[in-house]
Amino acid sequence: MNAPPLAARPRSRWWRRAILPAALLVLTSPGARAQVTIEGRIALPKTRTTPVVTQRYEIVTKGGVFSTNPPLAVVYLEGSFPKSATPAAVQMTQKDLSFQPSLLPLQVGARVEFPNLDDTYHNIFSFSPAKRFDLGRYRANETPVPSVVFEVPGLVTLRCDIHEHMRALILVLDTPHFVITDPEGNFRLTGLPAGRYTLKAWVDSKTTRELPVELTAQGSLRVEFPAVPK
Amino acid sequence: MKSPRLASLWLLAGVTLARGAGDLLDRVQDVLTWSVLEDRMRARVSGTIDAEQYDLQRPVPGVIQTAGSTLFSPRLAVFLDAQFGRHVYAFAQARADRGFDPGQEKFHARLDEYAVRFTPWRDGRLSVQAGRFATVIGSWTARHGSWSDPFVTAPLPYENLTGVWDAEAARSSTALLAWSHVRPGLPAAIAATEKKLRIPIIWGPSYAAGVAASGALGRFTYAMEWKNASLSSRPETWSEIDGDWAHPTMSARLGYRPNEMWNFGVSASDGTYLRPSALRTVVPGHRLGEYRERVLGQDISFAWHYLQVWTEIYTTRFAIPLVGSADTLAYFVETKYKLTPQFFAAVRWNEQLFSTIPDRAGPVRWGHDVWRVDFAPGYRFTPHTQLKVQYSLQHGDSGARDYTRTLATQFTVRF
Repeated sequence: MNAPPLAARPRSRWWRRAILPAALLVLTSPGARAQVTIEGRIALPKTRTTPVVTQRYEIVTKGGVFSTNPPLAVVYLEGSFPKSATPAAVQMTQKDLSFQPSLLPLQVGARVEFPNLDDTYHNIFSFSPAKRFDLGRYRANETPVPSVVFEVPGLVTLRCDIHEHMRALILVLDTPHFVITDPEGNFRLTGLPAGRYTLKAWVDSKTTRELPVELTAQGSLRVEFPAVPK
Repeated sequence: MKSPRLASLWLLAGVTLARGAGDLLDRVQDVLTWSVLEDRMRARVSGTIDAEQYDLQRPVPGVIQTAGSTLFSPRLAVFLDAQFGRHVYAFAQARADRGFDPGQEKFHARLDEYAVRFTPWRDGRLSVQAGRFATVIGSWTARHGSWSDPFVTAPLPYENLTGVWDAEAARSSTALLAWSHVRPGLPAAIAATEKKLRIPIIWGPSYAAGVAASGALGRFTYAMEWKNASLSSRPETWSEIDGDWAHPTMSARLGYRPNEMWNFGVSASDGTYLRPSALRTVVPGHRLGEYRERVLGQDISFAWHYLQVWTEIYTTRFAIPLVGSADTLAYFVETKYKLTPQFFAAVRWNEQLFSTIPDRAGPVRWGHDVWRVDFAPGYRFTPHTQLKVQYSLQHGDSGARDYTRTLATQFTVRF
């Protein structure tokens, strides 16, 4: 059963009945943008163990501990939004034998560049249905920087064909309104248009939480996603 | 034909399950990783499940051991990788299969590799390692696992059996030429099992026990190892220490990497190829340590985008008192190209040439020259499942026929 929509303050029925329809009409028209904000928190899973790098047949062992990001979530607003210009290109680098960042949300149509900042080859690939590609082996400072355009919404799992432990996720979204949480699960989505939407929180490939929300002009909303059931 | 049916069923079930299990296998990888002390001590268990099907012509090539024309060879390999702080890394590999090389032995489990590596400095200038581990010679060992090797079988220098035996010393050129199938004379009682007596110049990854030091200095890399068995030694001897390390093998490789694309290496190895138990067959007045295998090698690899090329060449001398020096040269050139993100193809040219030894009637080649060409298309269904098919055509050392072909199929699940 769907939860009733959360509404942005102020919540007066009189206000909503009199002003909201007109405000919505104006605010959802192309070019109009309210400054609605949603803040909140989502419970994140336990931090994963740092991967062990396989070095069985490596002559050179550099030692050290490789860091990865702790689990994070992506919070996004789902609904019908006016088409925006082509999203700006973003980068996901390979540094210290890991992807940085390891989780990257994107709007459909965005180009991602994959610069190699290590002194060894990387070979980034994905077999995910949302985007299948293989960049081949490429080195640091290679120009043009290998890049991929993501045209289909969905989850894309990235791996390196050379370094088995390397893994990253790209979440391709059909919305311009998204944000990554901090490691505690806190988020803040700003510059949102007024209207009725679904607020979603992607936690992992099996877990996406959602809540219906109603945003009014100049309002703000506080949202707590319920804990992920075990 | 029980085994082809079994292999087909395994393949069908594996592909069907694997297509929907990619996420599950990722989670398995996460579950099989542990850490304590705030990630300072971490361990991970991973592995591969291989199902290999061979369709063979006689004589069966390389180190494959079977009396039939088909062979189904399943294998489970489990790896342990553990990091203890910044300086200590340990690894192990256990396998359950029908023999280290494809064969018809009873299914059994072994611990094939185990080693501890100490790296005192973070820049990688030196690592010291002890245990049982793959040889530092050449570059094939770095990709010899079923997931990363585009072929099902090893390159010719790593599996083509010469006429040299390790359990018995050749006392005359006549004996060596019979063992090499150059001349008849092999006793009938031995003919059926003589394949288990012959040795190649390098036996697969050569997981012999020993210690090694390796590291990088600028664009140069170095590695040297001191092991209990020669490069040609068979898997059963890799953990043997019955010789009290009286006849160790020293091997080394010096590498130069001008950039990420190119890698050049020169290798050398020197050790006794006879097993200690062969001492009773040594010519009187000679020592076991005089039966030496000396190997000089060079390897070059190149990689650029979707193309990878490797080549290795080895010149090997087996010193045989009373017979002389039995020299052989073996090489291969291998290339792999990714045609699509999931489909790749590889081709490999292999050749082994034999020199002459002195005989009563003059110099005689001590082995049949062999060439082999391998074609191997492969497909990765998911990041965890892969199918390879290898077709090989070989000429030489063939006895009844000039050409022999081998069709090998390998389906791998990686977890």
